[in-house]
Amino acid sequence: MSSMFDGSEEKPLGRIRIFQIILCAVFFLYGVRLFNMQIVSGEQYRRRSYDISKRTTILPSRRGEIYDRAFTDPVVINEDSFAVSLTPAEVPGGEVPQIIARLAEILGLPRREIDEKVPRQYYYLYQPLEIAGNVSFETVAALSENADTLPGVSWQSKPVRNYGDIGSLSHIIGYVGNITRDELIQMYNQGYQQGDVIGKLGVEREYDAILRGKEGWETRTVDVRGRRISGENERVLPEMGKNLVLTIDKDIQLLAEKALGPRIGAAIVMKPNGEILAMVSYPWYDPNIFNSRNIAGEYQRLIDNPDKPFLNRAIQSSYPPASTFKILMTTGLLAENLINPEQRISCTGLIDYGQRNWRCWVHSGHGWVNLQQALAGSCDIYFWVAGRDHMGVDRIVSFARGFGYSRETGIDLPGEISGFMPSSQWKERVSHERWVAGDTMNMSIGQGFTLATPLQVSNMVATVINDGVGYRPHILKEVRDPVSGAVERTELPQVIHDMREKVSPEVFAAVRHNMRTVVTEGSSRSVPVRAVETAGKTGTAEVGLADRWHCWYTAYGPYNTDNHDEQIIVTVLVEASNPWDWWSPYASAIIFQGIFAGQSYEAAAASLGYLNLNPAQGGRRE
Amino acid sequence: MRLRDYLEIDFPLFFSAVLLTVFGILFIYSSGVSSSGELVSDEYRKQIIWALAGLVIALVLAMVNFRRIYDFSIYLYIGTLILLLYTCIFGRTVAGARAWLGVGNFGIQPSEFAKITTILFLARYLDSTRRDQHIIVRFVVSCLIVFAPTLIILAQPDFGTALVFVPVLIAMTFIGGITLRYVVFLSGFIVLTSVMLVLPLWQETILKGLVSAIMVLNNKWFILICVLALGAISLVAFYGYRKFGRRYFYWICYFGMMGILSLPASFLARKVLREYQIMRLIVFLDPNVDPRGSGWHIIQSMTAIGSGGFLGKGFLQGTQSHYRFLPTQSTDFIFSIFTEEWGLLGGLIVFLLFLIICLRLVRIVQTTNDSFGAYIASGLAAMYSFHFLINVGMAMGVMPITGIPLYFMSYGGSSLIAAMAGIGIALNIHIRRFNR
Repeated sequence: MSSMFDGSEEKPLGRIRIFQIILCAVFFLYGVRLFNMQIVSGEQYRRRSYDISKRTTILPSRRGEIYDRAFTDPVVINEDSFAVSLTPAEVPGGEVPQIIARLAEILGLPRREIDEKVPRQYYYLYQPLEIAGNVSFETVAALSENADTLPGVSWQSKPVRNYGDIGSLSHIIGYVGNITRDELIQMYNQGYQQGDVIGKLGVEREYDAILRGKEGWETRTVDVRGRRISGENERVLPEMGKNLVLTIDKDIQLLAEKALGPRIGAAIVMKPNGEILAMVSYPWYDPNIFNSRNIAGEYQRLIDNPDKPFLNRAIQSSYPPASTFKILMTTGLLAENLINPEQRISCTGLIDYGQRNWRCWVHSGHGWVNLQQALAGSCDIYFWVAGRDHMGVDRIVSFARGFGYSRETGIDLPGEISGFMPSSQWKERVSHERWVAGDTMNMSIGQGFTLATPLQVSNMVATVINDGVGYRPHILKEVRDPVSGAVERTELPQVIHDMREKVSPEVFAAVRHNMRTVVTEGSSRSVPVRAVETAGKTGTAEVGLADRWHCWYTAYGPYNTDNHDEQIIVTVLVEASNPWDWWSPYASAIIFQGIFAGQSYEAAAASLGYLNLNPAQGGRRE
Repeated sequence: MRLRDYLEIDFPLFFSAVLLTVFGILFIYSSGVSSSGELVSDEYRKQIIWALAGLVIALVLAMVNFRRIYDFSIYLYIGTLILLLYTCIFGRTVAGARAWLGVGNFGIQPSEFAKITTILFLARYLDSTRRDQHIIVRFVVSCLIVFAPTLIILAQPDFGTALVFVPVLIAMTFIGGITLRYVVFLSGFIVLTSVMLVLPLWQETILKGLVSAIMVLNNKWFILICVLALGAISLVAFYGYRKFGRRYFYWICYFGMMGILSLPASFLARKVLREYQIMRLIVFLDPNVDPRGSGWHIIQSMTAIGSGGFLGKGFLQGTQSHYRFLPTQSTDFIFSIFTEEWGLLGGLIVFLLFLIICLRLVRIVQTTNDSFGAYIASGLAAMYSFHFLINVGMAMGVMPITGIPLYFMSYGGSSLIAAMAGIGIALNIHIRRFNR
């Protein structure tokens, strides 16, 4: 039998006391620890426990559609398509590689491509990573059949923009793409997120905020396998993007596109109040390639193209305005009474000034010409003399600014450039040479340093029609509700320059009359329009080549009307990089004929006899 | 056995154990409820059966002739050793350890009962050698008695359960009157071994830099040279102590021996332990090393506890647990689901009940006239408190994951019945505390 303690001295009472103290200390420390976790840092753990069982899914909004001014069929539509995402942390223990392999098989993608989007360090991420876009309904159906064996895989509808056969409209519409890292950094504060689709060019970019609508989201409670647990799902529905109605007329756009033909250049059809009916820049690109799998390759091919198909030459390229500038000169000379319009100046085809021979484009000379005849025949010598001796550089610059030169028109398309208008101070500052009278002479006929976009030239004519008021050119006509179709916003004309204080309406009437004589008796009399009376001005810009020039023609019609709303302006520029065929007046004539006779390009060209025309390859014309 | 004896029962001890068992059953039920509110597990029913069986066993053990326990302890000890060996070779493998013996539908875990029988036998040895044995021999034999089952359990391998024997040994030799410096020597050896075990891995996974002083711990030649050098020093010191009787020679020898034993022990342990076991020690130091693997348990458990707040989320309302983020909620992490749903208040009640059990056991050590009973009670106190310390500490992220259950509450027949048996024996000692 066990032995007994022989009295208290044998009992290790001291050691028992130590034992008790240790026990009490441990329980006390654990109590403190528990208090710290549940009370002191409780909020932090509660948030974590909330986060861990909540999954937020973005409910994508539907991007608005884009219509032309007729508001019948959309130019751009959304096509059903899906994006497939993987949430790596929802895949149980280490099975991510297998899931990726299965996905690669079902989606028909190379494995490496998915691995690149889901690198190892993301395997613990509770955020869906998009691994494939533009996935067809059939593929998603195959995924959903296998949903049980594909934990962490999800898909959302992510409509693809189908631009159909929009041809030259691509420069106006633009295209969309996934947001790049740089764009994200710039626009994060405007609510853009990784994986967003964003407008890259044209209207898609300019009005991205209106088109995109607002994403909604849904928070659901899930268990550790990512299974949805019923109840308490919060959701905010997405706001649909608004539909845009453009000022563009699809038929006129097609007419202008065909009238310009395969010539590097631009054509603009607009109303005097700034509404753009058509804007063509050749060459254009096909925005549908951005829906293809090989985006990078296609993009690079376009970037490498020496003809620069991404460049919208109507607003992003500037040229010497050449003789179209004589409209501005005429206005200035008349407005300030700097020359008697009936005073005649002799054009012998050649003048000698500043140790240089200045040749008029008509080498034999125009003879004695007054202001009207000088504009009609585009006499260089008249305007050299008038500019040098009567108007002077400062007045020319002042009038050019008045007409909106060297300033962006403010059209609602991204990337517009301002062109350039020199001044005597500018030349001295840049080249440390004095502005000489020869510079003024060059400027007087729209050569030299002066550069203008086709849109600026077009808007100059609009200003002449409006008796001195220039409106901001615009592409957007209306914003409409995507469901009801109600108009939510209408773009109204917006004045960007006003010369009525400086120039009387009579002066503009005289300028218009002189422009009319260009067509009736002047440089474009050989290219008449049957359906409407037009007034215009030719222009041929020297670019330093012997046999090729930039070819301008800007005109409006009807010449005289009480109904300003039916008036339109057509401006065509064909670059010197094309074989020389003096095509701009012809293109313009076909456009006027087509619009006012209600004819297609083929019918209009045929009725004018320009269908298979091969204009003389000959020498320079105005 | 007389009815009167039942009135002598230590009620605080007994009812604390019963209350904890009831809490356990409630939350084993809760852990069996899925996220959709269905009951998907019948673990709680089995637990009720075991609890009732445990209760009967406890009450029977409280009343048996105490002398029987003393006499039987050696056969029980040898019996469990054989059972452990048998399990180790023929047992069922669950969760990587061959620790289970199948008896029909039920499995039993002999290592759980080995804790009790070892305590009984060590108490008998300490008691019978109290007067006439040399103290070093007594200490070494005590160590051998405890290390025999420990090593078999380590071989299963069940690291956590083996670990429990260490504090039991320390506590019993401490109360059993073994000179303090031997007990300290044992504790020092274990601490030193585990530090040297973890250091190289800590450097690899957390520090991610190389510290040459730690690197050498992986070099067996360095270990050998160190052991030889320390051996030589110790020998010289031992000779010096014998010759001159100076105390400092004794202490040089003392710490030298500690190094000689723990250096190779840590080296061997690193070779024997599985990688996941060592990884658990590492993630305890920093759970974010492996947030989806070993660290997952710690992070989920701490989140469950921390989000409970003062009153908890309510019974069956825990989100961490019912959405299954919390792993093994009915066994290892029963405390996490408990405090998620019953909050700080419930947690402190559980702390209090365990503290009552441990303090009552120490009280028995203090009051009983029977030294055998006193040693048993001290071993049981160490066992219960260590289980609590490790399991609750693990749930709160202050102890490494070892997978040992929280007594009374965790799901599991063997551990519950063993815990109840321990309580029964303690009650028996208490009833007979004044017997001479």
